[in-house]
Amino acid sequence: MSPLAIDQILDGRRSQPDQLIEVLHDVQEKDGYIPEEAMQAVSQGLGVPIMEVYRVASFYKAFRLKPAGKNVLTICMGTACHVRGARLLLDQATGQLGIELGDVTPDGLFSIERVNCLGTCALGPIVTENETYHHHVTPGKLRKLIDTIGGQQPEETQHAQTQ
Amino acid sequence: MQQYVNVNIDGAIIRAIRGTSVLDTAIEYGICIPHLCHVPGLTDIGACRLCIVEHVVNGRSKVTTSCTLNVEEGMVILTSTDKIRKLRHNLAELLVAQAPNSRAIQDIAVRCGVTSVRYPFRNADCVLCGRCVRTCTEIWKARAIGFVGRGKDRHVDYPFGIQPEFCKQCNNCIQICPMTITPCNGPMKPGEEYLCGQCESQLIVADETPGSCVWCELGEGFACGRYA
Ligand code: SF4
Ligand code: SF4
Ligand code: FES
Ligand code: FES
Repeated sequence: MSPLAIDQILDGRRSQPDQLIEVLHDVQEKDGYIPEEAMQAVSQGLGVPIMEVYRVASFYKAFRLKPAGKNVLTICMGTACHVRGARLLLDQATGQLGIELGDVTPDGLFSIERVNCLGTCALGPIVTENETYHHHVTPGKLRKLIDTIGGQQPEETQHAQTQ
Repeated sequence: MQQYVNVNIDGAIIRAIRGTSVLDTAIEYGICIPHLCHVPGLTDIGACRLCIVEHVVNGRSKVTTSCTLNVEEGMVILTSTDKIRKLRHNLAELLVAQAPNSRAIQDIAVRCGVTSVRYPFRNADCVLCGRCVRTCTEIWKARAIGFVGRGKDRHVDYPFGIQPEFCKQCNNCIQICPMTITPCNGPMKPGEEYLCGQCESQLIVADETPGSCVWCELGEGFACGRYA
């Protein structure tokens, strides 16, 4: 994030510690995540100790501290989706992509997230890929989905590539 | 000018300074309420829950932490009822299961009547009491460490995990940490741990003086009434 963009976000809110969360939201909106330098700048601009900025940013689920992948797979682990096998979907995604929940593939193509209910329980298990909802997902469907997005590569090469 | 209120702690009518906590008042008066996260002079955050008491209002009692409860006129507090002792026993048991490798934690557990543990040992090196964070923030005004993350991922860390140049290296955070008061030097096999008392914690005298105040080493750090 450029110093200019940060300046814009901070404009009119300098030295107002109570604006911390709003400012962090705006940073995330712009960059997709909250980089360390941005936190430093926010700390300076608002007059909030850096420890406090980091504490707040790390506390709320809404803030991400690492860049997300190009395609964010969000697996619903809410009760309804859970009983219909969301766990298997998570295993499928982590296994196929070779990354853990919350991580990004080295090629930056995928990241895996979880939520606790998206409000469409009747259609579960639900997986969203960026803003697109996929309903009644099975491990097989998910594998195909990941293959398709990953550029029609068969699983092996996809895997090799991510190593 | 200091104002006073009268409170009743375990039947004793105490003239307490308005604005102080029930815990501070009790300690000042010589009534020991076990506590871990409380440090005189630092803000109380009610993290360890060991200092719970029964606060009786209109014949009903509420269990609450005494370090975060301020004295009020006519207050009735019971610090050592069966109910409290049972709850506190369980809290201490969980605490010592989380971090058995510290003599301070063993001492406080023994004080709460724990001599064996029913829960799996976690052998963690932090109990999230926040003593370090508060001393860094409030006494040293450095804010070099703080709580990071939430839920089971909550831990104490520097900003971004790197010691910042504004850390005053006073080491107060380490001195005040209950984990550093004679830490255990012989970790046991995972799954086979038990409270051994080899650190000469008060466990060795627990049979003779069950649940009584045991001159725990902690008391000194806590500025317990007995050391005043
Ligand atoms: S050593 Fe650093 S982190 Fe620890 S209390 Fe002192 S200033 Fe804070
Ligand atoms: S590091 Fe020590 S003082 Fe700090 S929260 Fe953990 S147990 Fe408490
Ligand atoms: S539990 Fe998955 S949408 Fe509600
Ligand atoms: S001393 Fe009151 S909760 Fe720890």
